[in-house]
Amino acid sequence: MNNNTSHDSTANSAVSVKFRDINLSFGKTHVLKGINLHIEPGELFAFLGPSGCGKTTLLRLLAGFESAQTGQVLIGDKEVSYLPPWQRNLGMVFQSYALWPHMTIRKNVAFGLEERNVPRNEINDRTDETLELVGLLELAERRPSQLSGGQQQRVALARTIVIEPQVLLLDEPLSNLDAKLRIQMRHELLDLQRKLSITTIFVTHDQEEANTIADRIALMKDGVIQQVGTPVELYDKPVNRFVADFLGTANFIEGKLEKSGDGWLFNTDNNVVIPVENHSDDLNTNACSLVFRPQNIVVSIAADENRDDMVHFQGIVRGKEFLGSTIRYRLVVGGKAIFADITHQQGNRLIENGTTVTLGIDRNQMIVVSD
Amino acid sequence: MAISAWGEEAVSEFRKHPGMAVVMLLISLFLLLFLVIPVVQVVFAAFLDTNTGGFTLLHFKDFFNTALFRESFWNSIYVGLMAVVVASAFAMPLAYFTSRFEFKGAVIIQSLGIIPLIMPPFVGAVAMLMLFGRNGSINLLLDQSFGFTIPFMEGLNGVIFVQSIHYFPFILINLSAALQNIDRSMEESAQNLGCSGLRLYRRIVLPLAMPGYVAGASLVFLKVFDDLGTPLLLNVNNMLAPQAYLRIASIGIKDPMGYVISVILVVIALGSMWLAMLSLKGKDYATVQKGGGGLAKRRMRPWEKFFAWIIVLLIMGLVLAPHLGLSLLSFGTIWSYSVFPDAFTFKHFSTIFAETPEYMTNTVLYSALAATIDVILGTAIAYIVLRTKLIGRQWLDYIAMAAVAIPGLVIGIGYLRTFYGIQVPWLENQPLATWWMAIVVALAVRRLPYALRACTAALQQVSVSLEESAENLGAGKLSTVRRIVVPLMAGGILAGFVTSFATAAVELGMTLMLVSKNSDGPLSYGIYVYMQSAAGRGPGAALGIVAVVVVGLCTLLSFVFVDRRQKKLGMGQAN
Repeated sequence: MNNNTSHDSTANSAVSVKFRDINLSFGKTHVLKGINLHIEPGELFAFLGPSGCGKTTLLRLLAGFESAQTGQVLIGDKEVSYLPPWQRNLGMVFQSYALWPHMTIRKNVAFGLEERNVPRNEINDRTDETLELVGLLELAERRPSQLSGGQQQRVALARTIVIEPQVLLLDEPLSNLDAKLRIQMRHELLDLQRKLSITTIFVTHDQEEANTIADRIALMKDGVIQQVGTPVELYDKPVNRFVADFLGTANFIEGKLEKSGDGWLFNTDNNVVIPVENHSDDLNTNACSLVFRPQNIVVSIAADENRDDMVHFQGIVRGKEFLGSTIRYRLVVGGKAIFADITHQQGNRLIENGTTVTLGIDRNQMIVVSD
Repeated sequence: MAISAWGEEAVSEFRKHPGMAVVMLLISLFLLLFLVIPVVQVVFAAFLDTNTGGFTLLHFKDFFNTALFRESFWNSIYVGLMAVVVASAFAMPLAYFTSRFEFKGAVIIQSLGIIPLIMPPFVGAVAMLMLFGRNGSINLLLDQSFGFTIPFMEGLNGVIFVQSIHYFPFILINLSAALQNIDRSMEESAQNLGCSGLRLYRRIVLPLAMPGYVAGASLVFLKVFDDLGTPLLLNVNNMLAPQAYLRIASIGIKDPMGYVISVILVVIALGSMWLAMLSLKGKDYATVQKGGGGLAKRRMRPWEKFFAWIIVLLIMGLVLAPHLGLSLLSFGTIWSYSVFPDAFTFKHFSTIFAETPEYMTNTVLYSALAATIDVILGTAIAYIVLRTKLIGRQWLDYIAMAAVAIPGLVIGIGYLRTFYGIQVPWLENQPLATWWMAIVVALAVRRLPYALRACTAALQQVSVSLEESAENLGAGKLSTVRRIVVPLMAGGILAGFVTSFATAAVELGMTLMLVSKNSDGPLSYGIYVYMQSAAGRGPGAALGIVAVVVVGLCTLLSFVFVDRRQKKLGMGQAN
């Protein structure tokens, strides 16, 4: 009954996905606000953000489970905004895997092909082939409840890719797995995606997950895409304080930015002036923050170093956390808490609480962003 | 702006589920025609001035000016309340034993919570008369040995006694579940803060278990207040339901008093449900956290064990009494002024199978049809309510559930009023109201709430993502419902079918109103007819045994099936 889907024609060529001016509300709650996004063919793309940011809604909108009040969704060059889910030919792996408990693994995987009225012997071949691909052929006659979490996830994946979808959608694919398995599955996912070269979008709240496998990330907050870019771009060139804060740990100093000749000066709220090299675009110069990462701070007990390309502060050590590879010091600088990471070498002595130290930060490692 | 947005949403929702919208319309029509209109007709007739055709309160004035009706009214209230008191007296110690102690009798108590429910109270009523009546076995024994008797079954006492034995499981089940659901940490934190023993019970345990108790108690009151069969069979006529029946049966469907009483029955039923809800408002404690269920249990001391067993055995004796009495009655030859029947025989069973097999075949036919209608409607309504946002879906649910509060008698009277004047087109001289299909429809409407609850619960357990993943893989709505939703709901649908079937099989109040000739009558009707004469008690009891066996077997089968299915879906073995 669903032969009007277009999966045959597009099986081997990856397609792009476009969102144009998407606005979506549930009742009075505005969940997606003016989303514009272009995902390239074959990309492994992540929707990243804290819970409630709208990332899952955006994925479900693409899959056809939600409908937006305004805007268009395009797959390839075809608008799909009004197509029901079963005519979109997108493969979605649900966070809970959503394996049907009343069917065997084989039945689960064959389901989508049966719905497409694929001939029986082809169904059998493709089901076997896909189960082989995810390494579960010998468990084909079991029921989902008899499999481990990792195996269930593979079944969910197999069930989805067997229909050769145009786009693969993964909703928090690794969140139900334990830490070790998560890392293993992450790599398996990446391998599979490269092998199939299929446009893939996954939703996650875990920055590490997004950073390690995504080609590009859209970082979202409150229904708005904050920034789109590669993981390194997002980390090094955040456009605002939220992005800087969400990815990794960051120190912030609030203040104003002023032009001074060729360069820029950052005026902190307690009137320390710091010359800066980098700042993000579209900046509100009257309310912005200076951002630098803990690992870019040089901590020294002696106050003698004075290099031009470095900015220096005096601070007092208030606490420390031993993280294994590094030691994270909590310092107070001008009434503000600052984190500084120092690589740990065996035999190094830790700095005592209460010690006054000098902090040096390379000016190239600082960036001013909007609050 | 707001209204147009609302309209837009309605339209877009309709576009999403056009098929379901049509189904919803059909179900609404069905409920309107076979539930709302008949009940409204009853209410209408109660306020209708028969001479002028205008509105009048005269009938209600007449009602309260008639001594018999006033007496009936208070009797019904009294019986309802006393049944709650006596049923609580049975249920509370049992619930206490199982929740507080490691008690070997817990298994017995669990089965005590089911056994009474598989025999409708009116079936056991006559048997109870034989055992506990003025000249029944117990009083004969007492009189012979000690020279006194106890009026267990005199007048209203009999109704209270029979009903509370039948309905106390409602309180037991609800109260036990509530106690089971109290997280142990609730108790432990009270103990940690210095509260213990009875004080702990009064301050922590009882308040937490209250919602369960009130839910059970209000159900008991409702059932007892509305019941027609038990008072009729015990020949207690000065209560509301029998009065309504007798007025309609003796004077006819034009008599306004039947309608007035119906309205009062419905109002009190709704009122008691409303009161129960009011008293529970904001007290729906969900206290179970991960891991901990139920209070800490300890072993009983010897003397505690002794008393516990005495109480449990005593209650078990009472619970089994109707079953025992009914068996004696069905196998006995003559049983009068003696402790046991004079001799035993299979004659009564051969009588019912030879002379009136239609009672049994009718029951199976009517109940199976009604239960089928119920699970189809129940599944559809559950799906509409839980899976679509169609406007008015909640009302569909409310109206279908409202049938719970409408006594069967009232639905019967409403059908007579509404459909008596309409002829079945292809049958000669057959008013629609008393056609056998009308009985089926009436049974279906009346038992719909049970099936609907079961289906709703079943659908709630099916995660939406299981459906979405099917749609995502190319299955349309219909295919998803057929291949995913219905198979996963199967256990719940079956449970709904069995509950509807079993309760429809023993419905009396409504069938008494609607059955016009013996050949159309189901079991419950047959039992009533047989029990009218002393000679018919044997065959009547035999029919009662058949009813108990049918209902019991159905319940057992569905338990087995649902259990096996759960295991299969949950943790079955390979292959």
